[in-house]
Amino acid sequence: MKREPSLDTVQQWFQAVVTHPEGVAAGSAAEDAQRLIRLDRGELETVVRRSRNLTAEERLSIYANAYWARLLECLGDCFPVLKQALGEEVFDSFGFEYLQRYPSRSYTLDRLGESFPRFLEETRPPDSEWPDFLVDLARLEWTLAKVFDGPGVEGQVLPRPDDLAGIAPERFAAARLVPVVCLHLLVSRYPVNAYYTAARHVEEGAAAADEVPIPAPGEELVAILRRDFVVRRYVLSRPQHALLAALLEGSPVAAALAAAAAASDLDDDELAAALRAWFRFWTAEGFFHRLDE
Amino acid sequence: MDARGARLGHQNLGLGVGLRSVHFDHILRTTPDVDWFEIISENYVDSGGRPRYVLQQLAERYAIVMHGVSLSIGSNDPLDHEYLKKLKVLAREVNARWISDHLCWTGVLGRNTHDLLPVPFTEQTLRHVVERIRIVQDVLERPFVLENPSSYVTFTGSTMEEHEFISRMAEEADCGLLLDVNNVYVSSFNHDLDPEVFIRALPHERIVQFHLAGHSNYVTHLIDTHDGQVIDPVWDLYRLAHQLTGGVSTLLEWDARIPPFPVLHDEVLKAKSFMGDNLPAEPEGAENTAADLVAAASSPTPHPLHHIRPEIE
Repeated sequence: MKREPSLDTVQQWFQAVVTHPEGVAAGSAAEDAQRLIRLDRGELETVVRRSRNLTAEERLSIYANAYWARLLECLGDCFPVLKQALGEEVFDSFGFEYLQRYPSRSYTLDRLGESFPRFLEETRPPDSEWPDFLVDLARLEWTLAKVFDGPGVEGQVLPRPDDLAGIAPERFAAARLVPVVCLHLLVSRYPVNAYYTAARHVEEGAAAADEVPIPAPGEELVAILRRDFVVRRYVLSRPQHALLAALLEGSPVAAALAAAAAASDLDDDELAAALRAWFRFWTAEGFFHRLDE
Repeated sequence: MDARGARLGHQNLGLGVGLRSVHFDHILRTTPDVDWFEIISENYVDSGGRPRYVLQQLAERYAIVMHGVSLSIGSNDPLDHEYLKKLKVLAREVNARWISDHLCWTGVLGRNTHDLLPVPFTEQTLRHVVERIRIVQDVLERPFVLENPSSYVTFTGSTMEEHEFISRMAEEADCGLLLDVNNVYVSSFNHDLDPEVFIRALPHERIVQFHLAGHSNYVTHLIDTHDGQVIDPVWDLYRLAHQLTGGVSTLLEWDARIPPFPVLHDEVLKAKSFMGDNLPAEPEGAENTAADLVAAASSPTPHPLHHIRPEIE
């Protein structure tokens, strides 16, 4: 009597067949599937029944097509502007490779794109700068998604500008100004944040796609945070970035100010005035969670 | 039906709809007269942002049921206890009336295909699933309900029909059933079976909830796309299921080409016409027209596909 394969074997075989990049016929003939259930060509119906209308291969192909379609659609949802920049066909070809190298191992689709920026970096052609644009844009979009639904500080009382202004300079310098948990900084090799804004105008119908060319290379520094459940983006200068990066690392205010000064071309008075304005603005915008003295 | 034993004692919540993020603003603004909402658990268990905040607000006003797509109860991989723990926390937070998922597996060897894959209906699978349901029930400490998924293949190795498997599973594991009437219709068409036989054979006192949804007709097969109205034959099955159970919580799912909220709500309210003896002369369902068939070709991804797009300024 023929022994039926175990549940474990059937499931491993099924997964190998319906997730094979070349489809069900290739998947069932491939070593992974053959090792589990050895089938000659045309023997799929010894495992999966045919229906009145469809062969076993056609029925399995519904799952195979759905696997790629579902995940590519979701990946496109995670990186809508990158997809728009590349065009659907090119984006999906990258996505198709990505999903083979980094198949989902999480219960949630929210993590599907987690390694996509890394994948683009790993697979970039060596002698071209242009892929930096794609990697940086992917990192921006992933950060935006993470900030949107990650931890935040809504409902908590944050310091107000006047709270900080009233503290003696020596006390302030020695304290640690702790940024909100949802503050992230990005350093990009292309102005992807500006590109993102322009592309959103296309999406909203306020601009045509050909009005948003791929930009020339150029450093862009951006702060991203969430306030009242909406993600906000702020373009930073180098000293601003140095200051916030130091605060994010947990440095005391004095060390963060020194980092800002080192990155600045302003004279002392100009920098002092700028710092006051920055702290006031950032505090009003909800950059800081608390002051630890 | 003995009313005391019906639905395992769980309340008939009435007519509800699946909560989708595109409707958040409308629902918060208008507080529509919907009996209850069902959420996709995976969209909220990790949320630290607006989705969870909106859900918390809605849970103060509406009954909430949690419906998952990643439990993978039929998988040979170990249960994901981190995921179960998160389900439990969220269920407590929103006072979920029960937690449901599907009789399926989503992946093995640590992978997740994010699809509701079919199990072979064998004694071995039955033992495996029953044991895992018991563990899940022990962990969740909340009513647990399993749904019949749409399927596109059957296995030669199956030794029983799906309805027999589900009936035995529910009895042996002592769990509730979520009868997806559309899925019965889709799977029966795909497997050349009679959907009425399926519905009549189930232990009706264990049916806690119904699902209704639209599907796409590819002539040779049907795909469960949740992207349109409920068709007449599915409403007919719903009427039968309603008669056999005495009425249980009913929920409409709509996951692709999602219409404005009032359209969604109106669709589930049609269920009232199929509940009593006074049936309408003209059923209010939709038939699959040639136009629907063409339109369906542009949205071939079967349920589930759930991902909330972020709001960015």
